[in-house]
Amino acid sequence: MRIALAHFKDQTLQHLRAPGYLLPTLAMPGLFYFLFEGQDNDVELVTFLMASFAMWAVLGVAFFQFGVGIAEERTTAWERFLRTLPLSAGQRLAGRVLSAALFAAVAAAVVIGLAHLINPVSVAADRWLPWILALGTGGVVMALGGIAIGYWASPRAATALATLAWLLLAYLGGLWEIPGELPSWAAEVSRYLPTRLWGEVTWAAVQGQATSLGDWLGLAAYAVGFAVLARWGYRRDEGASYR
Amino acid sequence: MTDDARGTQAVAELLGVHKRYGRVEALGGIDLEIQPGELVALLGPNGAGKTTAVSILLGQRRPDAGLARLFGRDPTLPAARRLVGVTLQESGFPDNLTVREVVDLVRVHYPHPAATPVLLERFGLSGVAGRRAGGLSGGQTRRLAVALAFAGRPQAVILDEPTTGLDVESRHRLWEVVRAFVADGGAVLLTTHYLEEAQALASRVVVIAGGQVIAQGSVDDITARTGLSRVHLQAPALPELPGVNHIEATNGSYTLYTADPDGLVRALTLKGVAFSGLRVERASLEEAFLHLTGGTS
Repeated sequence: MRIALAHFKDQTLQHLRAPGYLLPTLAMPGLFYFLFEGQDNDVELVTFLMASFAMWAVLGVAFFQFGVGIAEERTTAWERFLRTLPLSAGQRLAGRVLSAALFAAVAAAVVIGLAHLINPVSVAADRWLPWILALGTGGVVMALGGIAIGYWASPRAATALATLAWLLLAYLGGLWEIPGELPSWAAEVSRYLPTRLWGEVTWAAVQGQATSLGDWLGLAAYAVGFAVLARWGYRRDEGASYR
Repeated sequence: MTDDARGTQAVAELLGVHKRYGRVEALGGIDLEIQPGELVALLGPNGAGKTTAVSILLGQRRPDAGLARLFGRDPTLPAARRLVGVTLQESGFPDNLTVREVVDLVRVHYPHPAATPVLLERFGLSGVAGRRAGGLSGGQTRRLAVALAFAGRPQAVILDEPTTGLDVESRHRLWEVVRAFVADGGAVLLTTHYLEEAQALASRVVVIAGGQVIAQGSVDDITARTGLSRVHLQAPALPELPGVNHIEATNGSYTLYTADPDGLVRALTLKGVAFSGLRVERASLEEAFLHLTGGTS
């Protein structure tokens, strides 16, 4: 536990000192919420978009802390040294997951706080817990996707790939505007994307509507797919570096 | 694999370890044993299998066949590495952590670590404790990498070319630390390119080449085993001489390497060679090493 906490601290300090990480996770989602949507009196709309941009913030943590973080670390001399310490892969992962959970919470809180400051957002008292659960569950699925990027992308390609995926999945998943306003080609693609499925269950949770089983199943399928890819990539990396 | 009959637990052992990468055989059945209080220098040319042997000993790679043990345990188990400190051949640190933070992170993994200020002082890093570890000079980076091997107050350290890139003063300072560690009963496995370093520190030398142990013993044993002596002399010309390993010649000045210097001198006299300035010396470890591995200087 002491060891996992030390790695949590190490991960958190390193990311706090990296502007390249703080910008997309903590700064951009709040900024874009303000730039894209500005101030509006439509309670339904501003609340819906607050939920969307909070997802985008969590997606950034999932792709940049796991994806770029793992890709950049896994081939370094430091990583090889860490593997000589009396440290298990589980302790290391626990530190990373704890740190990412903290950043995800702060990144989402920035969007939610800003939305409350500038807009008449309204989430019923009994909707907060379902909302946070839906946001967090989808976050775990996206983190698995991030880990897959981390083990499959080269250190040089990871930043570009994660950024592209982060932007495209946000736009096409309907996190930047109401999905109904997407151009028809985008709307067609949107239905199958993990961010859209995540959006559907999250928006339903915020609005107090029933979530559809199909959306949850779709999200679960992505979780399994990402987990398989991540594990495959991890094994491949182990084989290449530490056989 | 029977228990050690001498009653002392070997610090580290490789028993009949084979390792192959694709078609390249990195280790072809290697045996290595390190006892407490022993400093073993692992020598060999590049590609001999030194780093592969070290990585198997540390549980980084699994042997295809054979057995690796650290303090009697499987080195792939994290707990087996609790008594061992390591400096790898390449060192690098996170850009965004300070030297002190890096040391503190490493210390956490051990039950009774060294105090951070003491450790930093011992390796001449006190002045850069607050600096980002990613921004250190080459020598400082290397010193930090070696300091981390001692952070957990280990009973054994494995140093893979620890002094590469260090200036002479830092190297000698590190040697002092290593000697003090061994004097306290610590065990060291050292790979090095500097034979001077093995000569200065090692209680035992293991020479590997082509994935095999080709010689081992004390520094004196190894030089004696190869039996090489250097015979210097000046002469107008040299005839064919028996038992000469190889000859270096410059302007009528010759250095002959031989296993039998007495026989060589007798042969020179018998053949009536008009030599002068005769000197006979024991070959250095480096020369013995080159002879053993068939390399050239």
